[in-house]
Amino acid sequence: MNRRSFMSWGTAGVAALCSAVGVSLGAVGRFLTPSVFYEPPQTFKIGKPADFPFGSPTFLVDEKIFVFRHREKGFAVASAVCTHLGCTVKYFQSDQDFHCPCHGSIYSANGTVLHGPAPRPLNWFEITLAPDGQLRVDKNKIVPPTYRLMV
Amino acid sequence: MNLIREIWRSIVRRDPLSTDKGKSELVFLNVWLHIHPAKVKKENIKFRYSFYLGFITFFLFLILLTTGIALMFYYRPYPSVAYQDMKDLQFAVFMGPFLRNMHRWAAQAMVLCVFLHMCRVFYTGSYKKPRQFNWVIGVMLLLLTLGLSFTGYLLPWDQLAYWAITVGTNIGSYAPLVGGRLRELLLGGHTVGEAALIRFYVLHVAILPSLVILLTIVHFWRVRKDGGLSRPLWKLKPRKTEALVTIGAPAEVAPLHVAAASPDKTYGLMEVVTGKPIFETVTPEEEEDTVFSYPYAFVREAVALMATVTTVMTVSLFFNAPLEEMANPAITPNPAKAPWYFLGLQELVSHSALLGGVVIPALMVIALLAIPYMDRNPSRRPRDRKWALWVFTFFVVANVALIIIGTFFRGPGWAWVPPWVHVVARPE
Ligand code: HEM
Ligand code: FES
Repeated sequence: MNRRSFMSWGTAGVAALCSAVGVSLGAVGRFLTPSVFYEPPQTFKIGKPADFPFGSPTFLVDEKIFVFRHREKGFAVASAVCTHLGCTVKYFQSDQDFHCPCHGSIYSANGTVLHGPAPRPLNWFEITLAPDGQLRVDKNKIVPPTYRLMV
Repeated sequence: MNLIREIWRSIVRRDPLSTDKGKSELVFLNVWLHIHPAKVKKENIKFRYSFYLGFITFFLFLILLTTGIALMFYYRPYPSVAYQDMKDLQFAVFMGPFLRNMHRWAAQAMVLCVFLHMCRVFYTGSYKKPRQFNWVIGVMLLLLTLGLSFTGYLLPWDQLAYWAITVGTNIGSYAPLVGGRLRELLLGGHTVGEAALIRFYVLHVAILPSLVILLTIVHFWRVRKDGGLSRPLWKLKPRKTEALVTIGAPAEVAPLHVAAASPDKTYGLMEVVTGKPIFETVTPEEEEDTVFSYPYAFVREAVALMATVTTVMTVSLFFNAPLEEMANPAITPNPAKAPWYFLGLQELVSHSALLGGVVIPALMVIALLAIPYMDRNPSRRPRDRKWALWVFTFFVVANVALIIIGTFFRGPGWAWVPPWVHVVARPE
């Protein structure tokens, strides 16, 4: 084998090896990415409007949301997940603000950051009335804090 | 009687240990011991040089392997039963609490010792040529040790575990571009749930320990090939510019002229091949006091092993590993703290997630990895490397200070609460 064909075969060999390694790594990455997530659905019903009192918000444990019901302005749903690192925030009716226990972020009643490391305001989710008269929350749809559902 | 003797001789084939040949054969005919040289430098086995921290780290790892395998007999990595299995270990399994305690305390001690070992290696300048890459392997071992702690932390599936991992993995998602995807890969989902538990379990019991074992083998091999431990600072010789080395030369030929043999290097005869015999002459100063590994080095290592095991066992008799309530995604304990060795990180993160959680730690790791290549100063003498010592000491002090702040000075809502002040949670 002369020098030239050695070089070209060599290059081809290295290229083949690299692509084989690349493809294998890609396959491993894909293998590790779940095709199906067995996680709670992002859209769910939370019950009839009458189930929710006026005044302090109702905290739904499994969904990690606060459901606000205001006499004139209607329904709004805030996420209870701190935008900093995902701890569950608490609502303090006395001060009308949210406190995160992990690193001390404080959010105002409309979700804007008042204090602490949280980079973004709390999320507000779309809430609508399903045909069967139940309230439906869609966590995929982020809405402005002024969003209200009037019932 | 003869048969017994014959059997014994078939197992132990070395000469009696009263002879020098027997002492050497004990080392190099034995697969476990032959990572040692037959003879070691007398100064290097002194406790006050290495504090045996590398050995202690390794012994702690052995304790973790054995107790970890024992725990695996009773632990199922599934959310609804994992916590129940921990409770079983705590209250129903014979010696369960003891094994769990040993595993927990040895893990914490390992994090501590691996850090102290790194400090010893730095302060003695032992990462310098030819040991640069062994330092890099060491940094990888440090990261793997932290990874083992982190993945193990989730397994009890209690409140502490759940929230430490929620916060910990969210830090990762601040990494630009790949962060969110990395977190999804690690958790197998978007929240800490059953997919995350099994992934952490596989990492904790299979992948990370295998990597530690693999790298430890390389680490030890390199210590050996680099001529054993670096020479203690109190034995450093004035730096030579060149040295004469005679390699396989018959008497009538002039010695080969070889430049700059490192004063820290010991030369070993690694192999005998046919042809011209290879031998080497070493300068008288190289031929310093050495002693047989048996018994001098082995006894000290055995003492370190026994001290490590006894300490872990004693601590495990008196202090129980914590187990809080079962994980509850709805309620975050206040304050939710990571394991102590991550509290420095948590403190940084409480100021800025991107800077404190991603940028600064990444720079720290890169700096650690680069130390042997950035520090071009060949001298190992403290007085020649003031600058390096100050920078590293700053790094150590900053880490320790942040951990102390995170551990003792942070209360509910991560507010500044000194340990002597007692706070009561606000009403909702
Ligand atoms: C799982 C973790 C580790 C284990 C089990 C381990 C074990 C050891 C052992 C047994 C020794 C020999 C003597 C001694 O110092 O006790 C050693 C030496 C050494 N280690 Fe480690 N080590 C670990 C991590 C590290 C780390 C984190 C670094 C640095 C970043 C490091 C760098 C070195 C270097 C450069 C030497 C040679 C020191 C000298 O020649 O004086 N190792 N290690
Ligand atoms: S997770 Fe809420 S402040 Fe850090």
